[in-house]
Amino acid sequence: MSNHEHERAIDIITRQGVDNVAARDTAWLESHLAQCSECAEYAALVGSTGQLLRAVAVTASAALVATTQARVRARAAHLREHQARVVLIAVSFCIGVLSSTASAWLWWKVGGWVAERIGLPTSYVAPGILLFWALPAIVIAVLMLAFPHHGLEQSLMLAVAREREGEKS
Amino acid sequence: MVATAFSSLVAMETEEAQIARGLRRRDPDLLDALIEQYQHRLLRYLLHLTGNRATAEDLFQETWLRVLEKGHLYDGRNRFVTWLMSIGHNVAIDHLRKRSPSSLDEMKDPEDGAPFEPEAGGPSPLDMAVARQQRETFDEAISRVPPLFREVLVLRFQEQMKLEEIAKLIRIPVATVKTRIYRGVMALRPALKGGAQ
Repeated sequence: MSNHEHERAIDIITRQGVDNVAARDTAWLESHLAQCSECAEYAALVGSTGQLLRAVAVTASAALVATTQARVRARAAHLREHQARVVLIAVSFCIGVLSSTASAWLWWKVGGWVAERIGLPTSYVAPGILLFWALPAIVIAVLMLAFPHHGLEQSLMLAVAREREGEKS
Repeated sequence: MVATAFSSLVAMETEEAQIARGLRRRDPDLLDALIEQYQHRLLRYLLHLTGNRATAEDLFQETWLRVLEKGHLYDGRNRFVTWLMSIGHNVAIDHLRKRSPSSLDEMKDPEDGAPFEPEAGGPSPLDMAVARQQRETFDEAISRVPPLFREVLVLRFQEQMKLEEIAKLIRIPVATVKTRIYRGVMALRPALKGGAQ
């Protein structure tokens, strides 16, 4: 008997029960197993392995399922929230870019007109507008450096607490 | 008969497509239903892969969280169970990489005497004794099988998966799947022979 025949037999035995095995192949296997004790033993072992693995039932506990479902729900809610926030930030960014582009053009024109009216040299116009443009951000940055975030938050919390106390009294 | 086979194929495709759509939406009700439906199969697979119930339960939860996060990658063309098991496989591999043991067997808690303990559901003392004996036989037999082979045995004999599905799941050639099944069965041979005597 050739190696090829044993390989074919092992292939059919391995596939039986889960894959579609042609009737022709099944018939050939039966005749081969009648002659080959090694392959017949393997076929018997495959049968016993299936029985052994199916004999012990492993079940998930109700607590595990409930915990998993709760964790998945919480994570799904968190992801939805995150996604909504990302969309909001993207929309805000786009609006910000559009409005700042439009207003930059407008302020450039206004600055040029004012400089012309006052009689300022044109070399002052560009830095002047840039300074004016960056002024709000500079002011906010200076304020945030001067009053750290937690300090602002704390003072805000204190103000809210005082307001509530006032409402109660 | 052909019509029945066709209609069942269409029904399966529709079901898989529905799951794919639900996963893209991160539908919590669908996920609840899927967890209910596949709870035992996934846990059993992870348990055989890791050999430790506590680890398998952690990985079970991690797998479902990953299903939620990566759900948009499921296209509904393959069976959902195959995709789910491949996620479980990857989660287990990631866990192993973090712990970097030399083999999956090292994940087995040395103080845990009964890693494959089934859930008790009010059985009689006789049932319990039979179950304990079966479990002991099973534990002893399965512990002889290297994890690589154990995984394919579980997928082939418990999950009834086709060799091509197993190959896709573990990302190995079909020929390697067949070899691993053969070697896994052979590794079980002494226990099976002993049990038969």
